[in-house]
Amino acid sequence: MLFLAVVGPGFVTANVDNDAGGIFTYSQAGAQFGYTLLWTMIPITIALIVVQEMASRMGAVTGKGLSDLIREEFGFRLTFFVMVTLVVTNFGNVVGEFAGVASSLELFGLSKYIVVPIAAAVVWGLVVRGTYDGIEKVFLAASAFYVCYIIAGILAHPDWKAAAFATVTRPQAAGIRSYGYLYMVIGLVGTTIAPWMQFYLQASVVEKGITPKQYAASRWDVILGCIFTDIVAWFIIVACAATLYANGQHDIGTSGADAALALRPLAGQYAYLLFAAGLFNASLFAASILPISTAYAVCEGLGFEAGLDKKFHEAPAFYWLYTALIVLGAGVVLVPHLPLVYVTVLSQVANGVVLPFVLIFMLLLTNDRELMGEHVNSRRFNVIAWITVVVTIVMTIAMILTQR
Amino acid sequence: MSLVALSELLGASVRDASGSVRGRVREIAVAPQEHPTRIAYLIVKTAEGDRVVPPAALKACGAAVRTVDEAAAWERYAPSDGVLLLKRDLLDQQIIDVHGRKVVRVNDVELDSTPTNSHIALSVVSVDVGTRGAIRRLAKGVVPSFTLRALLEKIPPRVIPWQYVDLIETDPARRVKLKIAYEGLSKLHPADIADIVEDLPPAEREAVFETIDEEVAAEALEEIDPDIQVSIVESLDSNRAADIVEEMDPDAAADLLGDLPEDRSGEILQEMEPEERREVADLLAFGEHTAAGRMTTEFLAVADTGVVDDAIEALKSFEGSREAVATIYLTDSTHKLTGAVPLVRIATSSPAAQLADLAETHVTCAPDTPDDEVAALFDKYNLITLAVVDEHGRLAGIITADDVIAMLRGERG
Repeated sequence: MLFLAVVGPGFVTANVDNDAGGIFTYSQAGAQFGYTLLWTMIPITIALIVVQEMASRMGAVTGKGLSDLIREEFGFRLTFFVMVTLVVTNFGNVVGEFAGVASSLELFGLSKYIVVPIAAAVVWGLVVRGTYDGIEKVFLAASAFYVCYIIAGILAHPDWKAAAFATVTRPQAAGIRSYGYLYMVIGLVGTTIAPWMQFYLQASVVEKGITPKQYAASRWDVILGCIFTDIVAWFIIVACAATLYANGQHDIGTSGADAALALRPLAGQYAYLLFAAGLFNASLFAASILPISTAYAVCEGLGFEAGLDKKFHEAPAFYWLYTALIVLGAGVVLVPHLPLVYVTVLSQVANGVVLPFVLIFMLLLTNDRELMGEHVNSRRFNVIAWITVVVTIVMTIAMILTQR
Repeated sequence: MSLVALSELLGASVRDASGSVRGRVREIAVAPQEHPTRIAYLIVKTAEGDRVVPPAALKACGAAVRTVDEAAAWERYAPSDGVLLLKRDLLDQQIIDVHGRKVVRVNDVELDSTPTNSHIALSVVSVDVGTRGAIRRLAKGVVPSFTLRALLEKIPPRVIPWQYVDLIETDPARRVKLKIAYEGLSKLHPADIADIVEDLPPAEREAVFETIDEEVAAEALEEIDPDIQVSIVESLDSNRAADIVEEMDPDAAADLLGDLPEDRSGEILQEMEPEERREVADLLAFGEHTAAGRMTTEFLAVADTGVVDDAIEALKSFEGSREAVATIYLTDSTHKLTGAVPLVRIATSSPAAQLADLAETHVTCAPDTPDDEVAALFDKYNLITLAVVDEHGRLAGIITADDVIAMLRGERG
């Protein structure tokens, strides 16, 4: 029960992180390298907690969104640049989520020309007609649904001892020298720490009205969310390692749905269904959050009227951006033979460009005593945070440079 | 008069009497204690440190800034709390647009630069919250300045005249020095103030409620979303909170205090005047979702032996809400409710008419009547007010239609 009292924005944000792209990356990591990448889970969890904690703390202490703070402290031009790249990278993510909805439901024999428009309408309506508390309940239920992956992992009958051992031992030196292995490590980090999450989390903390006094509970919300998220990721890797990797099938294709298909003959019908259902849930969940979070962040940063309590003509930029992200994001998926891979690459490049700015801004802001008062980063926290940020930035840039 | 934008001036090179560049404009300061709009001085960043240049020493102030004196004569800059620095305090910050009744973010500030006698008079005219200011700042230094000026001419401006701008300052001491009193905001309708306050971050909300007149604060607070009401009152010190709560309708005050943690509402009650405290405490004792929890104890009751003139006198000295005077209630010597006279009948009858003769059938309910039955009574009898009477038939309070509308909307909410 205590758990339910604490969970909220932090838990939801961390879980959305396991979206269509994330599930594919984890599946591929397990299929390609077996248990040998499990060691990344603990450092990634710590990094995720460090970054999310800053966003959540800033929201509670200042009562302002991240884009507001960036605008107030770093000026219009940088804000504009960050917002434009944020829109590009988030658009790519929205396309990825709708592609996830399409491919997961195609596994159940439903045509994407029917389900994608319905999904887009549901997403639009849910957010436009819902209240914060109501939406949070829906989102928390969606988060719980990630248990699918844990069950699928158990059904795959992994070698628990080997998996646990691989999680806590340091990586083999030989592996690190291989290009494909490094590329996958970078991919895992890149899919876990994304710019939009920081904007969304901070905005949710503000909207929920969390005060510095209640912040101790919010910190637990963030920590539990990150841990649960990475436990789910761990089970996805393990499920694919125990079946695909163990049977020599090292390449699963190009999407989370392909991973589910590959699992079918090896892990059984139930694991396959759970994988497919989990993918649908994750994609729809992320598709509900990304467009609205983008519209809020951009309008607040650039000073346009924003908010669902306003009428269309009062906040045209807000509604147009929100609607365009959904309509175009879903529309792109429906164009036959469109190489989605270019959208993904563009999105990853924009992500790599904007992430360093966002993370460094966050560090500067959380160290600003005038802004944060007694809640500035402690020295020890700063050491961990800077290492996290620098490593993440280096890896993200490496990811862009190696992009073919 | 010619307009110059703050973003054009910032970073502009400053030449002194000798004609050579001595520094760049870093900030522009207004000293509200001396004059509300006039620029007090420019802060110029030079190789020797920050220097102060008053407009009296300016020969030109636009894309190029020239002074009549030598750089050596410029005074050293010493930071002061009492000045408004346009870049730091205004640019990119949120302000209240009193005329448009909303919270907006500043893209640029427009200054008027007029040559008078031998120098320049510089003052703040308006803040730019539209596309024009945004594009000017984006393109500055990238697009040649004359092309940019021509381009900007084509964009319709969205500016707020300086007199309609209310700044938000969270530091109380600085608020006094900068003479920020939210005068414009205070003149708005309480419901508009409430909308604006809901759009502000918590510290800024608190700043507004610490500053504005108690009566205005009370009326605005009644219109604010209950969750935000609670967080505002919790952030104020008990003394100030009590001052505001005293001015609220007793039923709204009771609802608010009922939502606060008990020790906090106790503290606030302690600080209140005895009479208001008693009223609110009585209401607090009832359940929130009953007639007693919804009613107000500020109503108009006149002796049933009186005439219309007595009712008008009572109206004149009545301090409760305007909704409550829609009906004048008649009571006998033991405070029992004996009749009700609608305000229209008072207005259309002769001053000497007996009130008892004007009375119409009246509907009453008991203090423990639940919300839905109260709403049903309003619906059935088309009521504007409903009398709540105790077991002895004495008038305890009244419920007004606006409370019922709020209650019904809240349920669906």
